[in-house]
Amino acid sequence: MDLAVEIQDLVKEFRPAGRKEPLRAVDKVSIHIAPGEVYGLIGPNGSGKSTTMKALLGLVQPDSGICRIFGNDSLRVDSRQDVGFLPENPYFYKHLSGSETLRFYGKLCGLRGASLEVRVKELLALVDLAEAGNRRLGGYSKGMLQRIGLAQALIQEPRLVILDEPTAGVDPVGSRQIRDLILDLKKRGITVFLCSHLLEQVQEVCDRVGIIYRGRMVKEGPIEELLSLGDQTEIVLRDASPELVAQVRELIAKDGKAELLRAGRPKTTLERLFLQETVDRRDP
Amino acid sequence: MSRPAKNRPLNPRRIGVIAGHTFTQLVRMKVFYFLAIFAVIILGSNVFNIQDIGRPDLEGMDVLRMIRSTSLGTMTLFSVVMGVVATALLLPKDVEDRTLYTILAKPVPRLDYLLGKLGGVLLLIFVSLLVMDLLMTGVLAVRTQMVLSEQAARVAEWPKAEQEALFAEIRSQGATWSIHGAVVAVFLRAAVIASTALLLSTISTSTLFTTITSFVVYFIGNFQSDAREFFLGGASGGISPLAKMAGLAVAVVFPDFQQFNVIDTVIEGQPFLASDIGALAGIALFYVVLHSFVSWLVFAGKEF
Repeated sequence: MDLAVEIQDLVKEFRPAGRKEPLRAVDKVSIHIAPGEVYGLIGPNGSGKSTTMKALLGLVQPDSGICRIFGNDSLRVDSRQDVGFLPENPYFYKHLSGSETLRFYGKLCGLRGASLEVRVKELLALVDLAEAGNRRLGGYSKGMLQRIGLAQALIQEPRLVILDEPTAGVDPVGSRQIRDLILDLKKRGITVFLCSHLLEQVQEVCDRVGIIYRGRMVKEGPIEELLSLGDQTEIVLRDASPELVAQVRELIAKDGKAELLRAGRPKTTLERLFLQETVDRRDP
Repeated sequence: MSRPAKNRPLNPRRIGVIAGHTFTQLVRMKVFYFLAIFAVIILGSNVFNIQDIGRPDLEGMDVLRMIRSTSLGTMTLFSVVMGVVATALLLPKDVEDRTLYTILAKPVPRLDYLLGKLGGVLLLIFVSLLVMDLLMTGVLAVRTQMVLSEQAARVAEWPKAEQEALFAEIRSQGATWSIHGAVVAVFLRAAVIASTALLLSTISTSTLFTTITSFVVYFIGNFQSDAREFFLGGASGGISPLAKMAGLAVAVVFPDFQQFNVIDTVIEGQPFLASDIGALAGIALFYVVLHSFVSWLVFAGKEF
């Protein structure tokens, strides 16, 4: 089966005005995402996340490397039939209403007639904008714009959804709604490729993450594996007194009151790992 | 490898969707308010000249000429300004608002996007000119009847043949097919200047630069045939092939807008033949296709 996303040794350089040397925004980045997986790409501002996503969408041309979507070269228009994209801070057309926006994007994807109308209603309900569907986007809040943006990304029932900072500037409630929508996509078997600064949210929804720093992929893997500390053991006790904790290893076997619930490797947080691998990183 | 649906460029339905959307966008930007201003100008020019009807020496025809001249002049101004400003505004706005990302992230070839945008602007200009043409025709028809009645009373004693000649001349200053042909010429000129602005907006990201440069191109285009005539036509000992090629190159880069200047002759009551419209349509099509093609070449390699 084809990978949903196949990025192999992607290199992208920019030549800013007044600078002789090209600026390497993405340096031999490789990402492979299986169908149905939720993948999070995290990194500080300017680390190359958005450029990687744009290369995958054919919005920028790679200097070298391969970008494929379900086996199709992402520079080909046909590959975008299977993709939905929500850019960072999208504005959309303020003169259109929510339902008109979805109709416009649906028609671009070849939908029409009754099936388009059904799809528009379905998506407005999915993103909780059914009542605001006839209002112009000029009057939408930031969270509503993000949700209508997510709906347009899903209009043609894509197999892959690419989300660039889907919760940027959205309040905690709106952010949670978007998180729930991503989890819903995951349940439906839709592949999600997202980048976000909200590490807690990435940790909640992603199966695998990649950490990109100064254009390079510095860490990648399943989230459980990345967050596990291999040389430590974690013991979780219920109803245990502080004294019992101090002597736990000797007492557990003898003490019939305390119950050993779980033993394993304690985890760091994604945020700590992120800082360790980026700004606190010792080697350049 | 999975096989997604083919999305070949030049899909009329997709271009139509983008053109329709661009039209709606411009309409909701209150562009049609200009039509109200046009109506006021036409009705104003009509009212202010009402006393001329009572002047037998003018035979009332100057009023009709005035209406034709004001209407066609206003149409030209509107269509050129709209062709430049709307086209120069839309593309950079889509990039700035990142709406372009969401469109190009769908299965939309870049050529279809460009043609859709241009099509929307042209549709708006076409509809506006159509409304203005209808308004002008209505006013001209009413005023022609008024002038005919006025003159009929004045020349009642004239021989029949002379009366008929005068009435025919008055009618030739009214709503004729030639004046509709002149409106078509106005539209064709707007199409060429809009496609020029499209080309410039794919090269530059600045709306101001595109607007100013487009007007400069329009200005040069209105005088380039005179310049060609002066430099090439006046040369003694014939024109060198190099000079001829250079002249042709200038004509390709800067459309010769003087060819579309048929308004003055039509205002004077000269006929504007269908074959002339056909020739102008051919010239306009050549420039629109050329500009769209070069725009696509530039836009296809552009990164966002």
